[in-house]
Amino acid sequence: MVTKYKNYLHAIREMIQQLSPAILEKHSLDSLQEVLNVVVTKFAEILDAKGALIRILNEDTNKFEVRAAYGLGKNYLYKGPVNPEKVLPNSTNLNKVYIVTDIWDSPRVEYPKEAWNEGIRMMIDVPISICNQAVGMIRIYHTEPREFSDIEQDFILAVAEQFACVIQRIKRMENQQVQFNYLATRMEKMSSLGRMAAGIAHEINNPLAGILLYSSNLIKKVPPGSVLEEGINIIIQETQRCKTIIQGLLEFARDKEPEKTVSNINEIIEIALGIVDNEFRCQHVHIEKNLAEDMVNTFLDQNQIEQVFINLLLNALEAVDNNGRVSIRSAADQARKCVRVEITDNGCGISPEHVKHIFEPFFSTKTNGTGLGLSVSYGIIKNHQGDIRVFSEPGDGARFTVELPILAENDEGKKTP
Amino acid sequence: MKPLNILVIDDESSICRACHLVLTEKGHQVEHCMTGKKGLLAIERGLHDVVLLDIKLPDMDGLDILKVIRQKKPGPCLIVMTGYATMPTALQAMKLGATDFLSKPFTDDELVACIQNACPSE
Repeated sequence: MVTKYKNYLHAIREMIQQLSPAILEKHSLDSLQEVLNVVVTKFAEILDAKGALIRILNEDTNKFEVRAAYGLGKNYLYKGPVNPEKVLPNSTNLNKVYIVTDIWDSPRVEYPKEAWNEGIRMMIDVPISICNQAVGMIRIYHTEPREFSDIEQDFILAVAEQFACVIQRIKRMENQQVQFNYLATRMEKMSSLGRMAAGIAHEINNPLAGILLYSSNLIKKVPPGSVLEEGINIIIQETQRCKTIIQGLLEFARDKEPEKTVSNINEIIEIALGIVDNEFRCQHVHIEKNLAEDMVNTFLDQNQIEQVFINLLLNALEAVDNNGRVSIRSAADQARKCVRVEITDNGCGISPEHVKHIFEPFFSTKTNGTGLGLSVSYGIIKNHQGDIRVFSEPGDGARFTVELPILAENDEGKKTP
Repeated sequence: MKPLNILVIDDESSICRACHLVLTEKGHQVEHCMTGKKGLLAIERGLHDVVLLDIKLPDMDGLDILKVIRQKKPGPCLIVMTGYATMPTALQAMKLGATDFLSKPFTDDELVACIQNACPSE
């Protein structure tokens, strides 16, 4: 027993030594695989087992999938993913080692025939959990049943616990990378769309100029009540409408630097509310206002931010029925050095599919929308080094949050390009 | 308003012809050119009261033409037309001496009003 105990300490040390480069130095996304390989190999070696296998929960399919294996034949490995409920039922104590000696009849064994043919007569299941949630399982395979001492079981659990921490850390890195890639792609997409939009705007404004000059000239020559009158008026109106759409497009495309002044965001909200007030009254929609009394001044372009709030308020108004509710609240978050404004409605909500595209230019679910309001707002907030987000479920209203960094005039030099 | 001698510089023939139609109906003399170089030659030759200038031309930057026109004494009134209805471009044109700015598309009334404002009758 004493010898074994020394061996296990030695084994843990050796595992940590082997894992360190992957976890501490590489910070690469391959490092999870390296860690998994070391763990299965070492477990099998140290416990004198035939082999070992690690299954990790795939969050998309909610199945445990084999991510690393050592010492097992292909026939067994190719059996595919297993259901977590089967191998780790809800009642499972996640801090306990489970020993299976009855290969044929144990409910934990999903493929008994293949296991038996592989020469396996005993299995040890070790849950891997993060915050009391099973995220995977290590299974160690023996060709002969044998006793497992408490010390051995402690060793197995200790390694599994450390391993869970490693997985958590690497997953966090992976998520950050995924998030970063998503944002980088989105920014690139928006910027190329913006450039394209500017080109299109110019190309279209020229022919529109010809149409509008001729049609506005022609209408004066048409006798009142003529059959031509209505048609020409429609041409004029529709051309003017195109002009408005294109102006919005140019607003979006223009990488306009904000003209910032020291401002109190509550005052900007009040101005925006004053502008939309009439629209809200006409539709009997009540705006609930809850502005932070401790609001701090920050450095921003009042006109641009006002435009964002007007956009968001009018969108909220369109989302609710008559007698719906829209609320706007502001807060100063000193800890995160930002001011936050939330606009919430109890309207029809937005489907997840639409949420994904909501800030893209030309994306609109309204029959008469240009799909530019939110994309322009997005551009404005990004130019302020801020963030704009949407939270919504169909039928359950929507909440838009705008966060802007608290900047003083002399902070401007520190901003990121 | 007294008849004016107006030069239109734009590479879009429909705009040139439309401006021609609208302005001749108001009694003005209108000439048009579809490239920057031809426009500069026309400015050298003639005495224009107003130049309507597209800021984006295939052979030259409209702002460069604007600089040349500003050196001419007595210079014509200059109205810049552009499909890029952005404030920075308008500001730049005004700084370089443009009298006014028309963002495309515009109506005949807007065109006439702009010229009237630029060259009020003496």
